[in-house]
Amino acid sequence: MAKTTRQTQKWLLAAVHLGSLLPLVLFGLDAALGRLGFNPIETALHRSGRTAVAILLLSLTVTPIIKIFNLPMAIRLRKPLGLYAALYAGLHFAAFVVWDFGLNFGLIWLEFTQKPFLWVGLGALVILAVLAATSTRFWKKKLRSGWRRLHRTVYLAAGLALVHYLLAVKGDLLTLQGEYTRPLLAAGALLLLMVLRVPAVQQIFQRNRR
Amino acid sequence: MDQNDYRSVPVNPEEVTPKEVYLSRRKFLKGMGMVGLGALLASCAPAISTVNESPASTEDLREALTSYDAITNYVNYYEFTTNKEGVAELAQDFVTEPWSVELSGLVENPRRFSLDELRTNFEQEERIYRMRCVEGWSMVIPWLGFPLHKLLAAVKPTPQARYVAFETALVPEQMNAAESGMFPFPYREGLRLDEAEHDLTLLATGLYGEDLPPQNGAPIRLVVPWKYGFKSSKSLVRITLVENQPPTLWNTVAPQEYGFFANVNPGVDHPRWSQATERRIGESGRRATLFMNGYAEEVMPLYEGMDLTLNY
Repeated sequence: MAKTTRQTQKWLLAAVHLGSLLPLVLFGLDAALGRLGFNPIETALHRSGRTAVAILLLSLTVTPIIKIFNLPMAIRLRKPLGLYAALYAGLHFAAFVVWDFGLNFGLIWLEFTQKPFLWVGLGALVILAVLAATSTRFWKKKLRSGWRRLHRTVYLAAGLALVHYLLAVKGDLLTLQGEYTRPLLAAGALLLLMVLRVPAVQQIFQRNRR
Repeated sequence: MDQNDYRSVPVNPEEVTPKEVYLSRRKFLKGMGMVGLGALLASCAPAISTVNESPASTEDLREALTSYDAITNYVNYYEFTTNKEGVAELAQDFVTEPWSVELSGLVENPRRFSLDELRTNFEQEERIYRMRCVEGWSMVIPWLGFPLHKLLAAVKPTPQARYVAFETALVPEQMNAAESGMFPFPYREGLRLDEAEHDLTLLATGLYGEDLPPQNGAPIRLVVPWKYGFKSSKSLVRITLVENQPPTLWNTVAPQEYGFFANVNPGVDHPRWSQATERRIGESGRRATLFMNGYAEEVMPLYEGMDLTLNY
């Protein structure tokens, strides 16, 4: 790799770390200044959830960017983005069980028995946790070709996260009456990213490049 | 609960929480944010009281008043925006004078009441009520107003009248989100006539001893304390007595989630929010939601013989 490319990669990596930590820093700042609003728990839940979805979608843009724009150096950005997505999903869950429910597992279980969308979100979280735990070189070697298949379930996690998001909106999903703009934009982005992974679609871009 | 507990005394200025007290509550709230962050970051559980006891009587409620700041800055008024903390600013120029409320339908004396008439012809009294939002948060609010049955008595419902339909003002040029297409406005709500005539059902014109600010439904709104907050329509322009159950906004948008009755009931769950517990704004942790929001003794006679699980 040329020296300038490595330099660019370093800057991009720094931007990913700074950009991903920024929402957490801003949250801390708002908390310190008493700017979390009148329902700080709800604010924490909404912000952590939205940040997790945004970073998760960003992590999914890396592979298409590599293939379409022929930028193999971008690969180094994928793992940190995925880990940050898992971190925010974990914070989202922690805000729910620790801050909101004070670790009262009876009440938490009651919630889960009554609200299907919580299971969907938990499914996404479990997948992201497994992927984060197996993101090391050790696991990559150990799982060999299975590692790729395992890590493709990130698309399943993203799908579950968006279903969780869509179901959490107040309104009616079938008639789209409610605040669906953001979750639908996210769902559209995920759909596009998945289409870009279809081999036939990738060939179109590669042919154009040649 | 004693029958007289919810019947509040006429407003005595000394009884209203002084500004310093609610300002100090605001500070307390800011503090809560920090505590919460600590819990979040350290992922360790501080001693959060999970379910607090709910005060039953009005005297206890007076102790528990939610701050004026929170009541007026954390509101749902979707015609302006779905952002609860953005409503106050967007609604500040909402024109509420002149204003009138039209009483019509199955009544002997249909007529239009000006705001002045509503404020002076009916004795205004303070009522401290719990307010429970279907989203799972709650407040305690000192309303100023008069019971709806007094207004209904003035127009005399005919024997055919069985329901009351309420319509909120729709002024697109003053309401940012009124024509966003997200919801079929105008906001409509409804009550059964006997619910509307119950002494707890209030037409509020003020809170904390002052006129209602626009974001809280100025100049006049409905308050039905034993039902989820969305039943308490804001900025009323029309009250119509009808024979059949009137369509209501949320019941039309998502009937499986929002029934016509919408009585506060920890035993009937909403698919997204906990109805067993609630977050009291200004408090940390959760408290148990009271059946009929704590007004069961007063309102249960209305529902004798009804299955409240089916009629949610």
